[in-house]
Amino acid sequence: MARLRPAAQRLPAFGVAAALQWLALLLLLVAMAGLQITSLYGGIATGLAVLTALKLWEARSLAERRLVSLLQLVCIGLVAAQRPELAASLLQLAVTLLALAGLLALELGEGLGWRVLLRRSLQVVAAALPVALVLFLLVPRLAPFSTLPLARGAAAVVGLSEQLDPGGIAELAAVDAPAARVAFATGQPPPAQERYWRVLVHDRFDGRRWNRSAPPPLPRGDARELPGAPVALAGSTQLWVAAPSRIEALPWGGGGRPLGRELLLDPRGELLVRAPSDQRRVYGIADPQAASFWRTRPPSGADLALPLGSNPRLEALGASWARLPTPQQRLQAARDWFAAGGFSYTLQPGTLPDRAPFDAFLFERREGFCGHYASSLAALLRAAGVPARVVSGYHGGRWVMPLGGEGYLDLRQSDAHAWTELWLPDQGWVGVDPSSWIAPPGQSQPRRGSWGLADWLRQQWWGLDIAWTRVWLGFDRDSQQSLLRRLLGPLLPWLGPVLLLAIAVALAGSLSLMRWLQARSQGDPARRQLEQLLGLLARHDLVPEPGETLRRFAARVEERLPQLAPELQAFATLYQCQRFVPVGAGGAPAVSLRQLRRQRRALGRRLRRLSSGAAVGKAG
Amino acid sequence: MDFVRPQQGESLRLGLRNLYIVPTRFGWLWLAGLLLLQVVGTQLQSNGPLLLSFLMLGLFLLALHLTHFNLQGLELAVGESQPGFAGTLLAYPLRLRCRSRCEGLRFGFDTAATTAPRVFDRGDHALSVPWRPQARGLQQPGCLRLQTTAPLGLFVCWTRWQPAVPQLVWPAPVAGPVRQLQAARPRSVPLQVSGGERQEGSDDWRDLQPHRPEDGASRLAWKLLAQGRGRYAKRFVDPSDEEPLLAPDPAVPFERGLEHLSERICRLHARGLAYGLVLGEQRLPPGRGPAQRERALAALATCR
Repeated sequence: MARLRPAAQRLPAFGVAAALQWLALLLLLVAMAGLQITSLYGGIATGLAVLTALKLWEARSLAERRLVSLLQLVCIGLVAAQRPELAASLLQLAVTLLALAGLLALELGEGLGWRVLLRRSLQVVAAALPVALVLFLLVPRLAPFSTLPLARGAAAVVGLSEQLDPGGIAELAAVDAPAARVAFATGQPPPAQERYWRVLVHDRFDGRRWNRSAPPPLPRGDARELPGAPVALAGSTQLWVAAPSRIEALPWGGGGRPLGRELLLDPRGELLVRAPSDQRRVYGIADPQAASFWRTRPPSGADLALPLGSNPRLEALGASWARLPTPQQRLQAARDWFAAGGFSYTLQPGTLPDRAPFDAFLFERREGFCGHYASSLAALLRAAGVPARVVSGYHGGRWVMPLGGEGYLDLRQSDAHAWTELWLPDQGWVGVDPSSWIAPPGQSQPRRGSWGLADWLRQQWWGLDIAWTRVWLGFDRDSQQSLLRRLLGPLLPWLGPVLLLAIAVALAGSLSLMRWLQARSQGDPARRQLEQLLGLLARHDLVPEPGETLRRFAARVEERLPQLAPELQAFATLYQCQRFVPVGAGGAPAVSLRQLRRQRRALGRRLRRLSSGAAVGKAG
Repeated sequence: MDFVRPQQGESLRLGLRNLYIVPTRFGWLWLAGLLLLQVVGTQLQSNGPLLLSFLMLGLFLLALHLTHFNLQGLELAVGESQPGFAGTLLAYPLRLRCRSRCEGLRFGFDTAATTAPRVFDRGDHALSVPWRPQARGLQQPGCLRLQTTAPLGLFVCWTRWQPAVPQLVWPAPVAGPVRQLQAARPRSVPLQVSGGERQEGSDDWRDLQPHRPEDGASRLAWKLLAQGRGRYAKRFVDPSDEEPLLAPDPAVPFERGLEHLSERICRLHARGLAYGLVLGEQRLPPGRGPAQRERALAALATCR
């Protein structure tokens, strides 16, 4: 039977250490919030955190307490693998510092306050960081050992829908949740008319709804885009940070080459992702101005399919344009027809009837939102014999320039938009936005609420986050290899010795700095101020004689440098007060160290002015 | 880890030649933990665990030096020692000179537990390390082990030192019969062996003297006080020998006899009585007070 030890044997020396370890555990749990415990690594991290808590609860000996700190570090490492965002990383850093402070408290015994321990922890981490960075940058990364399964989770996040059914929506709610952020290598956003960010392609029409067909198999030529390819965000010209979404397609501009793990490009122009969807996704688009292969992929019969009889008046109108010789002319006819039709944009269009919904919209109601216009134009074009489909994604976005950071385009769910894509034989798939025919672009979008201070702060934070993302997630295996090639050049075969040398240099630097800081912080701080002042005066050959008091020495200095008299007198008085006047009721000395330091600096400045004046005088 | 040859001498300066350092069990666990993070970071191609594992490796390398620095340059010397009884914990005095701040220092002789970790700032320090001598005489405390695992507990750095300065150890005080010789006075009658029980106890008093505060309440003549005759202190005199010369009881083994003498000397000293000592050729004239006690116990400690 296990024997319970009395509380008195609980080694009271662990007081501060235990407090720090509990605090670290608490923050660890906060850092783990939102972690998907059904995933492999999320599950391991959660299990380990529970074990850590239990161990901390029952730990009695030094060895057990040490183990708790180690478990906390391993745990936070597992969390860091899954939460690379800036805020999460800062929290992870805090847990690391606390865990180390707990470890230091265990070793250094009682007597040190938690502030001192945290400062020591920070010092130790700062000292170990150069070595860590050398290793991080220079040790060649290995490829993943094998493909472990990653569990998927469903994230219920507001966003686009795979099925577009404008007729079933009576009122469109303007949801201001973040959708994505884009940073551009040029530092400038693209022109407003080019800010169409495609996500889903709806190519199947059943007379009422536009659906998305299953992605066809990928062409062989694009095998390089398949998952497993390393990310090279650093070289990309567009950096995307997309909010979690239950849709497997990501927003992008439709041009260029996607760079990112688990990404693949669909022939319809959807950017698909195979990674779990409970986290935000970070990916890059290289060369975004270049045309992508999907634009020139010829349409199939499905892109002309129209359930006959579902919207007879629409079909008849479209058929009337089919007589025009070119698709461009048919498109122009449609544009003219919409422009002359007295259409208006509204977020409260009301539902459309089940039978012939688009007939009701086009010929009776004549008001709706982007989904109505894009859907009906695509149907009209199909009826006119032009391959067409509906694309949903985001339009516009707000350009945000955070303080001291790089600008980015902020896309919200309220920027969600739908437009039509049609096949022009000489241009390929071309996007057309019929909503812009109805009202100026600014008015075609749902208005979002006012931008307050909280929003401004959030923008600044996101600016930092996007910069962090670019640096932190951008540094991968490929980036490392290119960095090594750039840094070492022909010395690359000598990476091993270079690495050892760099570690030795970093370690020696850290240790020297630590010893210097330690030596500096030792001894009497007031005395240090005096010695610094004496050092300054010694440069002017003013050195105290053996047995000379501070007052007498000050008087001797004043004889030679009378300009220094007020400052020197003040310093001597402050120093003697600091030394000899008894402490006050609060336990603080009558003169604070800060006052003494300030006075010493003032004296230093005065001396420098005097010496520079003397130099000028001599030069003159 | 005690396989290393201990350093000898009256003082010791710690340096690369006499300091030893190896990872602790926790240090090996630490390496295992960082290896695990490396695997996770590689598997997920994630920077967080990779950087953390490298940070842990950096801390490991740093701790190797920091732990060594705690002892490097430390100067050890033996201080002024005070004698004590065998079988009890004695304080062995040490002087430390630290060139820089030394953290988490633990001291311990083979015969006693290691002290709790202590921090020493730059400068000179005096400290005493407990040890438990088993025999009387001028004893050396054995091998001192000085170790530290600070700051992170990843490495243990230690040295072993055999301080050459012995400490005087008195025989352990054990109650038992001693031989009491008559005081070295002309009228003395020699050879009266006193057992543990006396024929006339020290409760018998012979005389009265005016009571002084230092006499205490136990010596106060309460009867006289109650009769209103003033405050008098009873003066106790051992009727059999007023200033006995103590010698080991020949009936018990010599070392045991010394232990009995040690206890008797302590008892007599505590009661403020005078006593002398006869140990073979060595004679200590009767006397009282701390100096007499020290002399007597030292004689016991060093006699052959």
